[in-house]
Amino acid sequence: MSRRSIFIIITAVIMLGAGAWSVYLMLRPAGETVIISQDGKELYRLDITREPDRTIEAEYEGRKNIIEIKDGEVYMSHADCPDHICIETGKLRPDTPIVCLPNRLVIEYENSGLDGTAR
Amino acid sequence: MPEISRVLPMLMCLTLLTSCASDKAVSSTAADPNAKSSGSIFAMDTYITVTAYGENGDAGISAAKDEISRLEKMWSVTDENSEIYAVDHAGSAEMSISDETAELIEFALDMHERTGGALDISLYPVLCAWGFTTGEYRVPDDDEIAGLLARTGVGKIKLSGNNITLPDGMEIDLGAVAKGCAGDKAAAALKESGVECALLDLGGNIQTVGETKPDGKKWKIGIRDPYGEGSVATLEIGESAVITSGGYERYFEEDGVVYKHILDPKTGRPAESGLVSATAIGKEGRYCDSLSTSLYVLGAEGAEKLWRESEDFDMVLIAEDGSFIITEGIEDSFALTVPAEMKVLKR
Amino acid sequence: MKTKKLTKLGLLTCLALIIFIIELRLPDLVPIPGVKLGLANIVTVYCIYTFTPAETAMMLFSRILLGALFSGNLMALWYSIAGGMLCFAGMTLLRRFADEKNMWFLSVAGAVLHNIGQITVAMIVLKSTTVLGYLPFLLISGCIAGLFTGICAQLVTKRLN
Repeated sequence: MSRRSIFIIITAVIMLGAGAWSVYLMLRPAGETVIISQDGKELYRLDITREPDRTIEAEYEGRKNIIEIKDGEVYMSHADCPDHICIETGKLRPDTPIVCLPNRLVIEYENSGLDGTAR
Repeated sequence: MPEISRVLPMLMCLTLLTSCASDKAVSSTAADPNAKSSGSIFAMDTYITVTAYGENGDAGISAAKDEISRLEKMWSVTDENSEIYAVDHAGSAEMSISDETAELIEFALDMHERTGGALDISLYPVLCAWGFTTGEYRVPDDDEIAGLLARTGVGKIKLSGNNITLPDGMEIDLGAVAKGCAGDKAAAALKESGVECALLDLGGNIQTVGETKPDGKKWKIGIRDPYGEGSVATLEIGESAVITSGGYERYFEEDGVVYKHILDPKTGRPAESGLVSATAIGKEGRYCDSLSTSLYVLGAEGAEKLWRESEDFDMVLIAEDGSFIITEGIEDSFALTVPAEMKVLKR
Repeated sequence: MKTKKLTKLGLLTCLALIIFIIELRLPDLVPIPGVKLGLANIVTVYCIYTFTPAETAMMLFSRILLGALFSGNLMALWYSIAGGMLCFAGMTLLRRFADEKNMWFLSVAGAVLHNIGQITVAMIVLKSTTVLGYLPFLLISGCIAGLFTGICAQLVTKRLN
């Protein structure tokens, strides 16, 4: 085998290894459980790795929230509330819950390495 | 083949047995002194979670929740039955208030002095004009702000014992101290119920009970990324309050300008101090709550000066360029989780 | 050292510095710290094949020091020095196995080692292994950038010599 082919193989192995590692890292927050609760009551408990893409609706005193689950990510796509902070929060991250205060809706990962996040 | 048909059910039984055994280990936590229980309530305009360890956990959590609800009823600016609402709508008549409310107002007035005016509980009408209280945001013009500022000024509050008098048109709001104080009192309620180990998260205000978790480890607290969703640093603490203020919590954009919800009492406009986040770490929740707002308003230089004049808190400041300033007391327990420049202030 | 050689090395340092500063001004392609083309590496790879290791080291570390001074980022100096040292050591060793036709590989290896060095320093500075999560992304970008700068260096060397 020529030197050249050995070098090509080494480069390809590094690239593929790093690629697999990145994919693993990007998928890592999944595998944890996401809990959607309203007014202190648990509505859904989802294993986000296995959850198919879908839309969840939740109603509170006639106001509606729509939660999207897409490719293992969770975010609020619609909220009948004045501030829309929950929509601006974006995708759910392991250490910061998505909270819709007016509609008392909380979406959070069951546990993260941190005991709390000051914000 | 006959072997397999005999072995397989046996294997299955074995699996069942072992899974039963592990189930038992989990469900026997009721008697476990390290059992973790948690509860949450919506109060004080935010989402509050209480996590308590040990057998008295549930009792402690309900005591803490009751305490927070009780304080909310006293200090809400919008609840028509609250003491603060009564004071704000008394015209210029003298009102009698409870010991707890009087104590907290006195504390807020004292903090106004110490922070050189950065903390101002009389700013509520200005905050309303900007729409930060309702979500109906607008930019008031200079004349309107000047008119509203004329109605503010904590110097005009007359507090003697349990009697308070506000000038006509002034409204006070304990928003910058109430959550911290509620955390202190909820922590006391947890301790009274026999809880030695608990964490309170009052909408991002973190307060702990106990120097360590049941496993002997310190509490590990993240500091939120002011530009994103995750955390940018972690802090290991004992029994403390960790309270952050940042413009990212509530803001709106109009004509390409971003207006953040923390107002500078001197200008009546969103504070432009060069900081995007300020965290105060100390023993007392109400102190840290009022400090985090003040540090944010004061900016890096003012915050450093205040820190040098005081002995009883540490801080983490994040500047607009993403660099960090921390104080020496937390140097060993602080760790960045993103690459950034960091300066440690020494006495 | 011959005056001619010294002049040549000085010019190359200068060239590398200019490329480095210009690249700093370019907007980031990917929002991950550390991901960049590393165009100044073209000069380093060229030097490895044209000068002795000691001469190359002089050029490289002058460039890194001046680059940090000019960009005013002292924190970045430690990342660059660690990355630069690992990159230089690896490339000098590999030089024996890779002839001028395989310059691209030297460059890829250099870029990858540079990234590993940077992350190691970051882990020490931050007292946390969280940044290790950046490494796979840096390795991929390092391979691509290394390949690009390596091919550039190969072309440059061919024309110059």
